Amino acid sequence: MKVLLMGHPNVGKSVFFNRLTGANVTESNYPGTTVDFTKGYMKIGGEDAELIDVPGTFSLDPKDKAEEVAVAMLHENRDVKVICVIDASKIERGVYLALEIIEEGYPMVIALNMWDAAVDKNIQIDINNLQRILGVPVVPTVAISGEGIKELTSRLKDAKPVEIDDIVKNAGGLT
Amino acid sequence: MEKKLSEMEYEEEGTVTDIEGTLRKKVAGMGIRVGKKLKMITKQPIKGPVVVIVDEANTSLGLDVAERISVEMKT
Repeated sequence: MKVLLMGHPNVGKSVFFNRLTGANVTESNYPGTTVDFTKGYMKIGGEDAELIDVPGTFSLDPKDKAEEVAVAMLHENRDVKVICVIDASKIERGVYLALEIIEEGYPMVIALNMWDAAVDKNIQIDINNLQRILGVPVVPTVAISGEGIKELTSRLKDAKPVEIDDIVKNAGGLT
Repeated sequence: MEKKLSEMEYEEEGTVTDIEGTLRKKVAGMGIRVGKKLKMITKQPIKGPVVVIVDEANTSLGLDVAERISVEMKT
């Protein structure tokens, strides 16, 4: 199984990557570009899985080389699960990207990272409700201290494709 | 009063009223959409980028991008 780590730049994807994989990590350039990405292996429920640290992107509508690579990597790997890392204190734009990826039919787990920073900023997030609306597992995490990482990997098996229409319905329609 | 985001002064606040068509998708991923409240916090000299707060998060925009976004000023 392949797992892609996706999210905005600077939300902690690489910290996750380092936490989830061991020493067997290769770093290479995406063919034809100077944009590099890292690849490693992790265990999910006793099974080996390949984990790819995708370059950060704000949306699936690329604005620069790194974003182009991120989108290309997503599109050429159809049979993957996506861990979408979101900065919990900037949740709205993170969810925007997550929705774009869900819309393309990828099974996903959302990591609401930097949860401690969001708490400090007094930002309250109703995880259960978010989970109900999106239909994908949502896990609060603090990657640098390792909080929530175990739960995140254990919830990967619950990731499944969600119809965007169902999300609209769960959210109570478009406003 | 309505003005371009690029014309906003330091610490001014407003609500986004219009974004040029082709730009809409580009800035949506950064949290800027019609109806969003924003506050200008930095304007760099020599046609440098502007930084605004949207939903408690800082976002910097190129001046050429900021020129294509209209904002209704808070009075």
